[in-house]
Amino acid sequence: MTTPLLTATGITKDYGATPALRGVDVRVTEGEIVAVTGPSGCGKSTLLHCLSGILRADRGSVIFRDQDIGSWSEAARSRLRRTEFGVLFQFGQMVPELTAAENVGLPLLLAGSGRREARQAALDWLDRFGVADVADQMPGAMSGGQQQRCAVARAMVTRPRVLFADEPTGALDQLNGEQVMQAIVRTVREEGTSVVLVTHEAPVAAYADREIVLRDGAVDPTGLGVAAP
Amino acid sequence: MRPATLFRLSTAGTRTDTLRTVLTGTSAALAGTVMLAAVTVAAVQGGEPLEQPDGTAWLAPGAEHYTSPLLREPGLRPGVIFGLLLLTLPVLALAGQCIRLGAPARDRRLAAIRLAGATPGQAVLIAVAETIVASILGSAAGLGIYLGLRRILHEPGPGGSLRLPTDVFPDPVPLVAALLAVPVLAGLIGLIMMRGVAVTPLGVIRRQRGRGPRPWPGLAIAVGILLFNVPVWLSDRMVLSGYVFGALMLAGAALVMVGVVVGTGWISYTAGWLLHRFGRGPVTLLAGRRMMADPWNGSRTLGALLGATVIGGAAMGYHALFVTQGRAEDRFSVLIGMPPDPEHAAFYVNATRLVLIAVGAGVAVSAAGMLVALAESVVSRRRTYAALTAAGTPGRTLAGTLLWQTLAPLVPALGLAVVSGLVLVRSLYHEVTVGGGTTETCTDPAADPDTCARTVQTDPVVTLPVPVPWEQLMLLCGGTVLTMLVVAGIGMLVLRGSTDLEEIRAV
Ligand SMILES: Nc1ncnc2c1ncn2[C@@H]1O[C@H](COP(=O)(O)OP(=O)(O)OP(=O)(O)O)[C@@H](O)[C@H]1O
Ligand SMILES: [Mg+2]
Repeated sequence: MTTPLLTATGITKDYGATPALRGVDVRVTEGEIVAVTGPSGCGKSTLLHCLSGILRADRGSVIFRDQDIGSWSEAARSRLRRTEFGVLFQFGQMVPELTAAENVGLPLLLAGSGRREARQAALDWLDRFGVADVADQMPGAMSGGQQQRCAVARAMVTRPRVLFADEPTGALDQLNGEQVMQAIVRTVREEGTSVVLVTHEAPVAAYADREIVLRDGAVDPTGLGVAAP
Repeated sequence: MRPATLFRLSTAGTRTDTLRTVLTGTSAALAGTVMLAAVTVAAVQGGEPLEQPDGTAWLAPGAEHYTSPLLREPGLRPGVIFGLLLLTLPVLALAGQCIRLGAPARDRRLAAIRLAGATPGQAVLIAVAETIVASILGSAAGLGIYLGLRRILHEPGPGGSLRLPTDVFPDPVPLVAALLAVPVLAGLIGLIMMRGVAVTPLGVIRRQRGRGPRPWPGLAIAVGILLFNVPVWLSDRMVLSGYVFGALMLAGAALVMVGVVVGTGWISYTAGWLLHRFGRGPVTLLAGRRMMADPWNGSRTLGALLGATVIGGAAMGYHALFVTQGRAEDRFSVLIGMPPDPEHAAFYVNATRLVLIAVGAGVAVSAAGMLVALAESVVSRRRTYAALTAAGTPGRTLAGTLLWQTLAPLVPALGLAVVSGLVLVRSLYHEVTVGGGTTETCTDPAADPDTCARTVQTDPVVTLPVPVPWEQLMLLCGGTVLTMLVVAGIGMLVLRGSTDLEEIRAV
């Protein structure tokens, strides 16, 4: 359980004159849930985007399985994101014209699976998150909680090694948020998936094994984040 | 709501809103100029055959100095006016399409206005007022362009001959009507488009249709073709007045056009269903579902494009007919030992060529409308595209989706439009017969013509089949598809800008 899966060293990222990250180090081991917390604007989302290869850091390296993905092409990083990584945002990730099952099966289709195969896998995953009954509905006809469960199912359907989640319960009420978090944690434990979980809510951060606190684009060495007692 | 408030609310906005207003104004200016040209042609007088009291025939004065028979002959001028008015249709469709440009941001603003207490009617009024104001300004600009062009193009040739009717000025009533028609029509089109959009305080949500469109437009096309043929069929049996004849044919042609235009929604939906049902990869799934969810996206301008193609198909049918007619007459002249007369057929061939130029212009303007529609549909879904990209969807897949979405409804619809136009003409004529008439002459030329013994002489008959103008039809379809490929290509550039990660953050 202690093999480092993802190691980021000295991540620096500026938006023009605004420094968003100033030399952040992160290590994520196999099967570990790491929460990234901190006040608004401290660079949590930016860090998540750099770690998942959505953004390229200005300086520093992101090593995934002994490979520096920061040096990879956009196409190679895209492939990585739809195979080894899963991404989850606050909202807006479901394609509005596709049914829940089609949305969840989409990553498999992109990977070259057949329709039938993709649908079967999608139904299984929807079932695991308790939303099998909405499989043939469009996102517009689903509740926020149902949509977010489908989004988690879609992020997990390719059995990624790392799940990147940015405020995954941010658009949900407390009860729904807890249920979604419990479902995520149960599943990643079963699958042995590592999770990088960005949040500013203490109850959400409490699901993590470890917490990294960011302040002004750097790791706060005191580690006194929102989840601290 | 006071006019000042309405003005303030409908002109507030971002750069995209400015672009939309400018585009609306520009298309209104274009439509206004063309309408004024039509009104000017309507003001041309003269050329009608008159009979003097002493029995000699002469032509009414006023049009003899125009070099083009399209202006000189009173029988052809209505055709020119009609053609010019037809040309304004795609331009107006473009103006109407512009009302949806940059719509997401404006929708949010309208929702905010609704939250502040405006009624749904007021919100729609605010959206449409902008279009109307922009097109009134555009119309005024059109008047300016028209007056400028009159001055620039007024070039009297030797003996005062003119290529264009720059010496007549339309009557004030049709002039003002033409200028007002553009804002009124653009406002109406805008209103119809906003009708499908429910303005609620929680954002503007496009109303979803429960089920796909029905295939009744096919019926309209069939009935239209029948109606088009009725007068010819009837005139063999009874005397029909020219008006009834023309009205029936026009109604038939109009019905076919309406059928094709309304049919685009059905075609788009069905093509989407087929893609979704039988496609394999993610591209066809995404494109198919998108077409099923909103088969009417861009169908307004796609309709204008297809309308232009119906006319193009019909014009090509007539073109082939006239060319064949000319060839048959030439052969007939040779048979009876007369020199062929090149003038007659050439005139009609030129006229159909003019129509084809107008069709080309219509296609170009419609393509601009399609571009606006496509860009709007990409931009309004940019958060979904950004999320898909973040989840590792290759840009290739999204671009492919866009391409399918554009071409899958277009190709069958285009085929339908061209075939409908062609069938309209070919149902009337598929062969040309010249000659076969009989002349009676006195066997003895010296005898009294009233009482002499007669010989009946039958002219030779030349019958030629009218060929299907395949090459030209291919050219028309190929050109249209090519134009749409360019449109899809530009749409992909818009797409690249819309997959930016920033879009996920935007609430
Ligand atoms: N595209 C951008 N252009 C300019 N500055 C940006 C951009 N994106 C982020 N920033 C800035 O970078 C800093 C970090 O942003 P980031 O989104 O990572 O913060 P965050 O910790 O996720 O905040 P929140 O909790 O509010 O989501 C902020 O100061 C933000 O203003
Ligand atoms: Mg954030």
